[in-house]
Amino acid sequence: MYYPEPISKLIDSFTKLPGIGPKTAVRLAFFVLEMEEDDVLDFAKSLVSAKRELTHCSTCGNITDQDPCSICQDDSRDNKLICVVQDPKDVIAMEKMKEFSGKYHVLHGAISPMDGIGPEDINVASLINRLKDEGVEELILATNPNVEGEATAMYISRLVKPSGIRITRIAHGLPMGGDLEYADEVTLSKAMEGRREL
Amino acid sequence: MHISELSLRSFRNYNDLSLTFDDQINVIIGDNAQGKTNLMEAIYLLAFSRSHRTPRDKELIQWDKEYAKIKGSIIKRNRRFPLEIIISNKGKKAKLNHIEQKRLSDYIGAMNVVMFAPEDLNLVKGSPQVRRRFIDMEIGQVQPAYVYHLAQYQKVLKQRNSLLKDLQRKPEADRTMLAVLTDQLIEHGALIVERRFRFLQLLRKWAAPIHEGISRQLEALEITYDASVKVSEDMDLETIVPIYQEKFTDIETKEVERGTTLAGPHRDDLMFFVNGKDVQTYGSQGQQRTTALSLKLAEIELIKSEVGEYPILLLDDVLSELDDFRRSHLLHTIQGKVQTFVSTTSVEGIEHEVIDQAGIFRVDNGTIDIEK
Repeated sequence: MYYPEPISKLIDSFTKLPGIGPKTAVRLAFFVLEMEEDDVLDFAKSLVSAKRELTHCSTCGNITDQDPCSICQDDSRDNKLICVVQDPKDVIAMEKMKEFSGKYHVLHGAISPMDGIGPEDINVASLINRLKDEGVEELILATNPNVEGEATAMYISRLVKPSGIRITRIAHGLPMGGDLEYADEVTLSKAMEGRREL
Repeated sequence: MHISELSLRSFRNYNDLSLTFDDQINVIIGDNAQGKTNLMEAIYLLAFSRSHRTPRDKELIQWDKEYAKIKGSIIKRNRRFPLEIIISNKGKKAKLNHIEQKRLSDYIGAMNVVMFAPEDLNLVKGSPQVRRRFIDMEIGQVQPAYVYHLAQYQKVLKQRNSLLKDLQRKPEADRTMLAVLTDQLIEHGALIVERRFRFLQLLRKWAAPIHEGISRQLEALEITYDASVKVSEDMDLETIVPIYQEKFTDIETKEVERGTTLAGPHRDDLMFFVNGKDVQTYGSQGQQRTTALSLKLAEIELIKSEVGEYPILLLDDVLSELDDFRRSHLLHTIQGKVQTFVSTTSVEGIEHEVIDQAGIFRVDNGTIDIEK
């Protein structure tokens, strides 16, 4: 209210971002005033182009600037293996690992009747279509290990089971490099459940 | 285990308070509406991160203040550690050893508290919800992982109830998701029931002899589990799961019709029998009271056997509710081993022997004078 209009508008815009409260917004807005004009222009352009130029891949649902996305177009990747994740950020996490050579499918959420999100509201239908055409042999369900993620994985597994495609769920348990004694009981009991033969 | 120091800021009617406690008996004296129960509530909150009186945390913050803070210094197995609860309009933070604990199951259990308040007499005659809360809280204290499973169960239950409500409106819709949520409900539900069975066996072991003592060998107390799905205490997890599955297949149509989950641990109950008679329906006031007291005293022993140390006991305004014999039996049981907080309007009726050794705190409208 005490700021000139251009800056109070900028503050309002910053508060729309997640994790940014009013104080941080003010700090960021004043920082922008101090920035080089070129940098500010670049910043503004990136914001607009990120929004305008990115779409969802018509095959896997991941965000991309070309359709189909670079992963779906990559012939060196294994078409028979699809990893199902909740979020585009999960794809990036998986890719960092550099060990997964299959393809992805991004659901954009998890089923949660409480929040009015049913199976038709997430990207499941296109997954089922994909499984019909592409000769997929294994589906890896990598949704989050919470109630909704677990329910979504179970739902997909029920849909796909009759097709005979192998369905796997990523393991839950101890983080690498961690200490057993600091693990909480729930994680530890999951780790015990998922133990394997050596 | 005991609490040696407590400080409150902007909590209820306490502006800024700092107290050091006796490691045995602490008597809190004051007229009505001066803040005795608020002090008890603060100690309870430190253990469970929530109030025994209200689910609305905002009520705990002093009028026109931004936040309330409770800090305590706990001594357990000869080690001292701080606990802290901060409540603001934005939410609640629970810190153990100065570190914020995001998950309830990581916080609860650090400090063990057993409270006996006038409303606990409702344990026997009140609604099933009161008894479920009792059993859940007590298991949570000795088995923090239970709190996690309970929270998961409640989340699945909410999801399933939402879905059933949707299906109620359009019963012809696809039911795959219902089957998924039923599986999830059973997974957590069966675990909860099984843990409750194991706990009940322990509770029974302690409560029966205690009850016999309080009733001067006249009454035998029996506790049973009234299950909404026909499972029994001799069953293990592998046996419980298929029985649950069958039950939910049977009631699916009815559940969709009613739009809600009709069976599971959230519909179970505890039943108490004295000399073979259901205390809730046929017991006298006195028997109901004795039963509640036996359960609370059994809890103290149970925690001692599971955790290795006696919990802290809070007796909020209950001494006056008990007759002489029960009162002295209670004081006798705790003497010399359990740190106890007793709130009362006057010291009359409490044995002098106990009072002589106790720390005495006089509460007057949000300020406390230490008499001894």
